[in-house]
Amino acid sequence: MGRRFGPYGGAYVPETLVPALDELASEWRTARSEPSFRAELRRYSTTLGGRPTPLYFAERLTRRAGGAEIWLKREDLVHGGAHKFNNALGQGLLARRMGKPRVIAETGAGQHGVASAMIGAALGLDTVVYMGEVDMARQRPNVDRMRLLGARVVPVRSGSRTLKDAINAALRDWITNVRTTHYLLGSAVGPHPFPSIVAELQSVIGREIRTQSRRAFGRLPDLAVACVGGGSNAIGTFHPLRNTGVELLGVEAGGPARSRVGAASLTRGRPGILHGAYTYVLSDADGQVRETESLSAGLDYAGVGPEHAWLRDTGRARYVAVHDDDALRAFRWLAEDEGILPALEPAHAVFAAVRAARRRPRTQHVVVTLSGRGDKDLEVVTRAGRARAR
Amino acid sequence: MRVARALAELRRLGRPALVPYVMVDRARRRTWEATARALRAGGASAVELGFPFSDPIADGPVLEAAAERALAHGTTWADLLAALDRFAPVLPTAVMTYANPVWRHGLEPAFADLRAHGATALVVPDLSFEESAPWRTAARVASVDLALLAAPVTGAARTVRLARATRGFLYLVARYGTTGRGAASRPAELARLVQVAHGAAPRTSVLVGFGVRDRASAVAALATGADGVIVGSALEERFARSEPLERTARWLGSLVS
Repeated sequence: MGRRFGPYGGAYVPETLVPALDELASEWRTARSEPSFRAELRRYSTTLGGRPTPLYFAERLTRRAGGAEIWLKREDLVHGGAHKFNNALGQGLLARRMGKPRVIAETGAGQHGVASAMIGAALGLDTVVYMGEVDMARQRPNVDRMRLLGARVVPVRSGSRTLKDAINAALRDWITNVRTTHYLLGSAVGPHPFPSIVAELQSVIGREIRTQSRRAFGRLPDLAVACVGGGSNAIGTFHPLRNTGVELLGVEAGGPARSRVGAASLTRGRPGILHGAYTYVLSDADGQVRETESLSAGLDYAGVGPEHAWLRDTGRARYVAVHDDDALRAFRWLAEDEGILPALEPAHAVFAAVRAARRRPRTQHVVVTLSGRGDKDLEVVTRAGRARAR
Repeated sequence: MRVARALAELRRLGRPALVPYVMVDRARRRTWEATARALRAGGASAVELGFPFSDPIADGPVLEAAAERALAHGTTWADLLAALDRFAPVLPTAVMTYANPVWRHGLEPAFADLRAHGATALVVPDLSFEESAPWRTAARVASVDLALLAAPVTGAARTVRLARATRGFLYLVARYGTTGRGAASRPAELARLVQVAHGAAPRTSVLVGFGVRDRASAVAALATGADGVIVGSALEERFARSEPLERTARWLGSLVS
């Protein structure tokens, strides 16, 4: 487990966090190869989490695209409604191993907050979730769910009051309470070893895609597509496929059509240092991090996991940005064609997948990771629909 | 005068160093010169100019709000250099900012800028020792001292490494937590760190920051054997309520007199 992915990654953190990150790295190295830890991870992930999730042939969506077959990796069916469970579970078990009775988490769309709250309850950990005020307003159902699950939700009122500021607040809490607290970071971002730990815990997605696609259509897909905010479901999808011939496509949030940057750090940012990692960042000429714009709270982030930065530079994965309107369009396609309400985050990926499938022959297979379900977004989607009807 | 030299002279005289932290805010640019002179008159040994960053994870509410205000006022790198032009002729001057603003300007150009405008030391609270090698090289080339930070969690062996690798001074974070209000760690714990640092690098001053806000906390910080204190949030609160500069400076001086 290296500190860097090419030049990216590292651990740019205040001195107070250095020993905690070292401890986390060494605990993880031991735990991941221990049969008992792996067995426990497997037990919870099957009996509580509902894994493995199915790989579903989206027949009517495929017909709409009129090209390659589109298959959905159904992470929306994981307990809690998103892939976030996979990581929260693993890190929760680690926190318990390290004897830390308290976990803190940041959340944007609320999916990681919900997953942390669930795991906190199931493992008996005291759970605090930081969430930007703007996000609390637009993802209210998840705030209620976290509270019902016994977590304390702390509103973050500084900066842009979204995911970036929630991470700042969580880091400040960690600096203060590091002796008793594990920071259950929700994406493949942040200082080493977080990007590696999160990637490995989420890699269950790509491993299942590998075996399920062989079983379903006799070979690996030609293209794997996933949305990228911090990039945890995408890295989980890409990691087990990166040494195969499968093309990898990451989809960032382009924001409103008029937006210059949206939240697309890989396609519109440049290398910089944010939240402990050297990676692509949307910042101005002075290095001040920009306020991002996206309809989807989960993708609304100015940085990205450092491994994606390296996959981008090496060309192993390609990254594109999809605008809000197109994500909403894909949301409706999936609802009307397949009876699935996706979260707005993977709706970005669905749009890009349909566009890619259209250009490919019927003999090819495109797998999209459907990272979460859309219940949390109903208000945003219906409001956008009304705005358009006017 | 270089920050390091000013600190060395104070040590020779057996007097504690008093280092105020001033957030560079474009809206206050007309007061910079008067502020520098008032701080010197109040007994400041050097000054630390803070360049605001959008995501200051090591700062508590007071300095976080100060940075947010400064950025809302349109403060840029050019303003930092203009502030240096006002402060550095009056007091030995260090700069404190986060990694990304420096990185974005490029390490070599950024250090060259700082040195050209009179800064002789830089503190970067989110630059861990592990990532600091290229930064230390660029700083050395520009003749700027890159001051490293130690904290109550830092073990003895690591403290030795930090004390030997730091330049200008060693910044000792007084506690678990961000800047501003809050109690310091156990005095014995800090005193041990100071002792180890002095043992490893006898000529390097140790300055204590984070939570130094009144005479009692300053006295306690110096009782650890440290060579001086850095005062940030408590001072910023006084600037923010536009207290007359002379009174602020008198208050500052009273912390260690």
